[in-house]
Amino acid sequence: MPNPITPIMQGMKITLGHLFKKPITLMYPEERPKVAERFRGLHALKVSHDKAKCVACYLCPTVCPAKCITVEAGEDANHDKYAARYEIDILRCIFCGYCVEACPVDALKMTGEFELANYRREDFVFTKERLLEKK
Amino acid sequence: MVTLTIDDKQVQVEKDATIYEAAKAAGINIPILCHDKKLKPFGACRMCLVEVEQMKGRLIPACTTPVTEGMIVRSSTPPVEKARKLVLELLLLNHPLDCPVCDKGGDCDLQNLAYDHKVNVNRLNDEKFHHVIDYNNPLIERDQNRCVLCGKCVRICDEIVSRGALTFISRGIETKIGTEFDGPLSCEFCGSCISVCPVGALLARPFKFKSRFWALQKKTSVCGYCGTGCSVTLGVKDNKVLTTVYDENQGFHNGQLCVRGRFGYQFISSDKRLKSPLIRKNGQLVEAGWDEALELVANRLKGAGASAAALATPRMTNEELVLLKQLMTQQVGSANIDHSAGYAHAALTEGLAKSFGVAAAPSSILDIQKSDLLLVIKSDAYETHPVVGFEINLAVKNKGVDLQILSDKRGKLGKLPKANTLLHKPGSEVALLNAIAKVLIDENLAGAAASVTGYAELAAGLAAFAPEQVAAQCGVSADAIKQLARTYAAAEKALIVFPVGLAYPAHTAQLAHAAANLAILAGKLGKEGSGLLVLQEKNNSQGAVDVGFVPGNGGMTAQQILDGCLSGSIKTLLVAGENPVVSYPGQSKVKDALQKVDFLVVADLFLTETAQQADVVLPVCSYAEKEGTYTATDRRVQKVTPAIPAVGQSRTEFTVYGDLIRALGGQAPTTPADAFAQIPAYAGIEYAALADDGAFAPVAVKPALVLPVAAATQVEAGKIALLTGAALYHCGTMSHYGEGTVAACPEGYLELSYADAARLQIADGVEVTVASNEGSITLQARISLRMPEGVAFAPYHFAINQVWSGAVVTSVTVSK
Repeated sequence: MPNPITPIMQGMKITLGHLFKKPITLMYPEERPKVAERFRGLHALKVSHDKAKCVACYLCPTVCPAKCITVEAGEDANHDKYAARYEIDILRCIFCGYCVEACPVDALKMTGEFELANYRREDFVFTKERLLEKK
Repeated sequence: MVTLTIDDKQVQVEKDATIYEAAKAAGINIPILCHDKKLKPFGACRMCLVEVEQMKGRLIPACTTPVTEGMIVRSSTPPVEKARKLVLELLLLNHPLDCPVCDKGGDCDLQNLAYDHKVNVNRLNDEKFHHVIDYNNPLIERDQNRCVLCGKCVRICDEIVSRGALTFISRGIETKIGTEFDGPLSCEFCGSCISVCPVGALLARPFKFKSRFWALQKKTSVCGYCGTGCSVTLGVKDNKVLTTVYDENQGFHNGQLCVRGRFGYQFISSDKRLKSPLIRKNGQLVEAGWDEALELVANRLKGAGASAAALATPRMTNEELVLLKQLMTQQVGSANIDHSAGYAHAALTEGLAKSFGVAAAPSSILDIQKSDLLLVIKSDAYETHPVVGFEINLAVKNKGVDLQILSDKRGKLGKLPKANTLLHKPGSEVALLNAIAKVLIDENLAGAAASVTGYAELAAGLAAFAPEQVAAQCGVSADAIKQLARTYAAAEKALIVFPVGLAYPAHTAQLAHAAANLAILAGKLGKEGSGLLVLQEKNNSQGAVDVGFVPGNGGMTAQQILDGCLSGSIKTLLVAGENPVVSYPGQSKVKDALQKVDFLVVADLFLTETAQQADVVLPVCSYAEKEGTYTATDRRVQKVTPAIPAVGQSRTEFTVYGDLIRALGGQAPTTPADAFAQIPAYAGIEYAALADDGAFAPVAVKPALVLPVAAATQVEAGKIALLTGAALYHCGTMSHYGEGTVAACPEGYLELSYADAARLQIADGVEVTVASNEGSITLQARISLRMPEGVAFAPYHFAINQVWSGAVVTSVTVSK
């Protein structure tokens, strides 16, 4: 029968080792995490020529497995298509990134934004204005 | 029959079939872009290339090559695939890759073919087109940059619609689909071109950017406008009807629709729909609950007896009409029920009921293309029933059917090849038909009919209708009448077609007798492609007649009901879906009657001009929200099922009248199937077995000859004869709530001849005042080649009843 003290000693050794290493714990929110470049956080609608690049092709709501994207297309003064309404219900979103992949005009991206907690349900529905890329 | 081999499969087809059709019959799919089963083979796109063993060395287009005995065809060998891929690459060279913003995406033949043939990259490179996109009209957008020049739009507009609004213009790389003088599109806006366009070059503007094709649920239904009974597919998203979807395999008409069917659907999901019942309190209509409204109505109807009356629209289903009839006759105890102003159904209920012993026309729309001669009474048959008009176009152009038209004005049908229009004076159609009957009898062209009941009386009574005698009255030469009679008698199969409706006061029992006499005398009954076809105005006009929604024993007709409202004998009036203020003759009288009646209940989709006068307004459902059957004009019974849930708090009339029957202590059928089983005319039809194509209720004809009374019409000296009728873009007054139909024809107009316009110094498009003894109205003048001098035409949908009191011909003065 092995010595019952041995496993405890082994554990204590690991613990002791950590005293001399860089801490894993992040002092959030004082300390901010470094988000990876390809992290899939809150969506953003890319802007080009002061307009959203989105052409309201409906591919993102079509591909979305969680059915969290609502698009309504409109016709602008030049008879062109644009997203009159673009909403993402972040409570339903599973952050799979299919929408970004499906976008034929590269109008959508996922940012490093992960602090999405809120108090009211309606605040979790991100409208087009809230999704527009901030520069 | 010819036997050939396609992809090692033995196929047997008719000898006039093409390779494409043979392959299709064998279940082999050959890709096509420019071919359509409704159109003649064209061979423009070269997608359908195949290899034929006997024609080695080149590839053969399957859609234009007829089959031959022993042909060996291979539809997908490597050279064929290579050629098809090149065709697609060449098309995509100029076709813009704007699928994300193109409404055709998901339903695009070019997109599907490119996907199927894996055309991911293009080896070629060229500049895209820079044509100006045509946004000139509110219904059809033409983007020539996306066009692949398949020519389907050009061909459908020519071959089926017979309008010819589109054609190829310019040559070579500059070829495009153009309009007359390359100007704005001038057409009927039936949208047939949009339906067949394989790419997004032609798009429906009312549906533009509303939804992607794949997000739509496709729900089949039956069009709710005219009596043709076209099948439609509604595109539904989020419980709203957003568009109509083309399905080439649908109905006898192969998915072909008119402007109303295709573009007039917006009334279903309109914001103007009534959302809850309204009750008049202190002179104002205020929203109320169903319980309160129904209790109020039930209390008024209880024991009302003959002081109650009901006017229904033939847009209700057969089952709803059964319930409303039961409510009025059994629970309320009133036989005062009628529809269509009491005269629009007279051609059937009085005319054919006597002439044929049954209140239905014996022929069907399918007979049109099987006939040898079509005798169309009133060129308006095209405007009232455009899809029947397409059938006539096809019959004349493809089958060589002889077209004879009797009309008081020229029309589109008269422009068909070899069509012969006899232009008669307004209101003389019965005299003219009598003269034809007289010729048939005098020239012994009616030998077999001598034994038919009433022959002797008819022969004697027609003495006054010799062609020479009526020639002057009708404005048609005696020779022309004789010639028409001989042509009609000589045709092996001949079909008489005429429209009836609120706008056609001349098309009543007498005209039906006169037309039926011709068919009986000339022996044109009981044969395929022969007989008589009455085109009825609304989608269930025939059903309303079959259900018997007409005055019962001692009951009042619609006109008597309105008189009764004025005299005080009718105290409670239930108007179900009708809009008499706009559509019945004599607006001032109708308005007075509705004002005078003690209690007016209106059940409708909208707060119509009639509903505004009501004491209680009940919001009911459109055809897209209910279950039941409609009977088309040729007694085809078709079933509809709900495509969307009821809008707002509206309820189906089936529920409303069922509840009222129960509130008055009666027993009502609980399902449409139960109510359907109570209709004797449809005894042989099983409700549950009704498929998409419906079923024909039999029409057993017992011919009898009846002498028609030809009423003389007089136009006051110096005045213009005003004719009422239907406009192509509208049907009744419901189309006022369809944005597409209103965009195409927003207001009433007066069509005048060039001679009259010159005499009155009226220019095209100016506003004119039309005055009669009844009143006056301001309309836009349209100067048209089709009007004879001294005759004017106004569509009835826009309250022409301000000047028209139901006369066949109204004498009017026209001034600026």
